[in-house]
Amino acid sequence: MGSVAKDVLTVIFGLTGVLFFIGGTVGLLRCPDLYSRLHPATKCDTVGSCSITIALALQIGLDIALFKIMVVILLLLVTSASSGHAIGRSAFKTGVMPWHKKGVVPWPLKGEDRWTGR
Amino acid sequence: MRKAIVVLALVGIGVMLIYAVGEMPPMGDSGNPDKVHIAPRYLEHGEEEAGASNVITAVILNYRGYDTMGEVAVIFCALCAVVAILNREKPGLSRTSMDVSGVKASVVVRTTIRFLVPVIIFFAVYIILHGESTPGGGFQGGAIIGASIILFTLAFGLPESTRKLPLRFRIPLESFAVIAFLAAGFTGIVFGVHFLTYLMPGLSEYAAETIRHIMMMVIEIGIGFAGGIIFTSIMFAMIREDQCELQPDSP
Repeated sequence: MGSVAKDVLTVIFGLTGVLFFIGGTVGLLRCPDLYSRLHPATKCDTVGSCSITIALALQIGLDIALFKIMVVILLLLVTSASSGHAIGRSAFKTGVMPWHKKGVVPWPLKGEDRWTGR
Repeated sequence: MRKAIVVLALVGIGVMLIYAVGEMPPMGDSGNPDKVHIAPRYLEHGEEEAGASNVITAVILNYRGYDTMGEVAVIFCALCAVVAILNREKPGLSRTSMDVSGVKASVVVRTTIRFLVPVIIFFAVYIILHGESTPGGGFQGGAIIGASIILFTLAFGLPESTRKLPLRFRIPLESFAVIAFLAAGFTGIVFGVHFLTYLMPGLSEYAAETIRHIMMMVIEIGIGFAGGIIFTSIMFAMIREDQCELQPDSP
């Protein structure tokens, strides 16, 4: 792989990461409730950071630092996805209502106990 | 009358303190004694004098060894106070915070934590052992060990945690930092020099350096593991205290 192709790939991955971070930030600020905010927040961590670290890995090339970056990517993927899962799940189980318009019942309409999860 | 005396004494002390503040060198001035003498000395001679290429470790363990020994004793005393007031954990009574909120940790969370805890402890041991030459050391590594055990307890509950780390395993480790520090300190007295001297006289340079290295390592390992275990024990004691106030199974 030539160095030009490597640079182009680096730019593509870096820009993808930046794009996802911008989207994640906007989503975090603009979304109405916990569940919809969780979605962009975890995208930021997984896709955004992983793309940027992949771009870094491309620039480093074969080095011991490459192994460290792989470990970082693995940890990012595992931790941010599962912490997002834990936050969303415990919010759902403890009865945090999702955002909805006035007078419109949100999706699972099997009564209040659906939201308490007990 | 007593109040008047107290007020007068306080005002007197206050006036003296404010007067003393006026005598102090200006804050952040580059001509202050600590910037002129102490900091350059630490930076230039820290490695040869204190035997640690990380200057912070050199300061903590060597230049200010008494201070660090006091800190270690303070952490140990904090544990003693917590245990004296709250008593040790009783796993039979306890429920973790996740149980209380009505949500048990899911399979995903438990699997992730089972995968992560060994990695975190591995990283903590690396930080403890490498504290001499890179940023880190006993206190930081101990905090990470404590955090990993707290993470495990949040997901799996106190009974599981106390089965993995029983009391008979934790009690000797809790005092290990103080004991390691005192042992290293008294080694100097045995060799006929001051308390907490790392470089022993009457040995070849190589032997003295090696002994200094080993002593610092023992102290770092002691601080790290004892610190982590002390945080864990404090948390175990406090979990039970938290849960006793809650009514069982009330929504």
